[in-house]
Amino acid sequence: MSLEQFLALLGWGTLVGVDLVSVPQMMIARPLVAGTVAGAILGDVDAGLKIGVVFELLQYDILPVGAVRYPEYGPATVGAVATAHAAAGALGLGLGTVVGLVTGLVGGIAMHQMRRINSRVVHAASAALEAGDPRALVRLHVGGLLRDLVRAALVTTVGLGLAWTVPPHITGVLTPRGATLLAVAAVASALAAGAAGTIRLVGRGPNLAWFAVGLGGGIIVAVWLQ
Amino acid sequence: MTPPVTPRAPRFGLALLRLFAVQGSYNYERMLGLGVGVAEEPLLRGLPADGATSPYRGAVARGAHFFNSHPYLAGLAVGAAARAEHDGAPAELIERLRAALCGPLGSIGDRLIWAGWLPLLSGLTLAAISLGAGWTAVVAFLVVYNIGHVALRWWALREGWKHGVRVASALHHPLLQRGAAIAGPAMACAVGVALPLTAQYLAAPFGAWSRAILAVAAVVGFVVIKWLPGRVTGLRLALAFAALALVVGWTWL
Repeated sequence: MSLEQFLALLGWGTLVGVDLVSVPQMMIARPLVAGTVAGAILGDVDAGLKIGVVFELLQYDILPVGAVRYPEYGPATVGAVATAHAAAGALGLGLGTVVGLVTGLVGGIAMHQMRRINSRVVHAASAALEAGDPRALVRLHVGGLLRDLVRAALVTTVGLGLAWTVPPHITGVLTPRGATLLAVAAVASALAAGAAGTIRLVGRGPNLAWFAVGLGGGIIVAVWLQ
Repeated sequence: MTPPVTPRAPRFGLALLRLFAVQGSYNYERMLGLGVGVAEEPLLRGLPADGATSPYRGAVARGAHFFNSHPYLAGLAVGAAARAEHDGAPAELIERLRAALCGPLGSIGDRLIWAGWLPLLSGLTLAAISLGAGWTAVVAFLVVYNIGHVALRWWALREGWKHGVRVASALHHPLLQRGAAIAGPAMACAVGVALPLTAQYLAAPFGAWSRAILAVAAVVGFVVIKWLPGRVTGLRLALAFAALALVVGWTWL
């Protein structure tokens, strides 16, 4: 990874991190998008798509309602793609997923901490807010946006740092079969999380029948293509 | 009798622009409150603003109180509250209106977007990538999703402003009711199609034994997540599987 690529990935990961909650929520934070663009930056769209698909499935496990806490898979996907690019093949898929999971965990914790800081800042400015001071209101809001920007940049830096340091230590330690097993574990957990998350969304009502119809159609197409 | 005149909305575009950052200062005390207040502020600029207790300042303060809803539909509350302020509605009524909108806007938005439009398009994109569409499927996802996203934000703000305190009627709009009714089954079907295709796409480089292990592990993982909801999440399962694979791969393979 060149310095230019690192900086481009850092910028992209930061935008992705901010998009998730703060602005503009246009879904560049979805792993499919974050991963594909990260892959394009590295000249490895295929790795970006694969990692993007894995984390998109993991994302199905998350329903961002209310103040629920969840891992942040956007910047995590950027770090994961950088790892997958550095350690190509099956090892790249497995190791990239591990780096992405750790980064996603860090991102989720960072988001929770930032919201707590926001709460304290807002609480401290209650008097100005209750006085209807528009400048104080905008200042507090922009402060929150800037905190999220810094947070997203830090989380992306963690992911890219892991992508830079981890592959050289693992490559050569795992045999090709060990690398394949790690990739299998990553894909299996993504499929399990994706299916479980979907079933939770679908529920037990009439949508379950539509899910079964889709699943049947998908299996037929998959078998036919084989 | 002359019909009521709709006050000209000052800086309507600016309010919409600010709505895109409605969650920018998300916090556990007022949730989206500050963002809603910031988005509403341009619509309040026509109110008398002289003095520390002016209608403008009072409205700005109310606008920043606790609020929580789906971010794409927050515009309904922003527009409705701003219109109510211009119409001279009592402060208590506006506070009650905001509080009453939190639940329905959250519930409808979650069903329509987080459990409908988004996973529907995500599922179709996953299927398209698995069938070889590549990055073009991702571009199509972004474009189509955001046509719906921006249109919904715009519609919400306009409807809120149009109806004011009677904004509840907008919640019965066919766009929301039919949209939510159609999005659910469509999402279920699309993700159903996507799952086996995605499994095949991701498993393509693996040999027969690896695929067998993959199938067993995926089923076990699914059962564990369903069996222990909340305790075993996708993240925890993936970390546990990865740790197990690393130990086995390091020591035995």
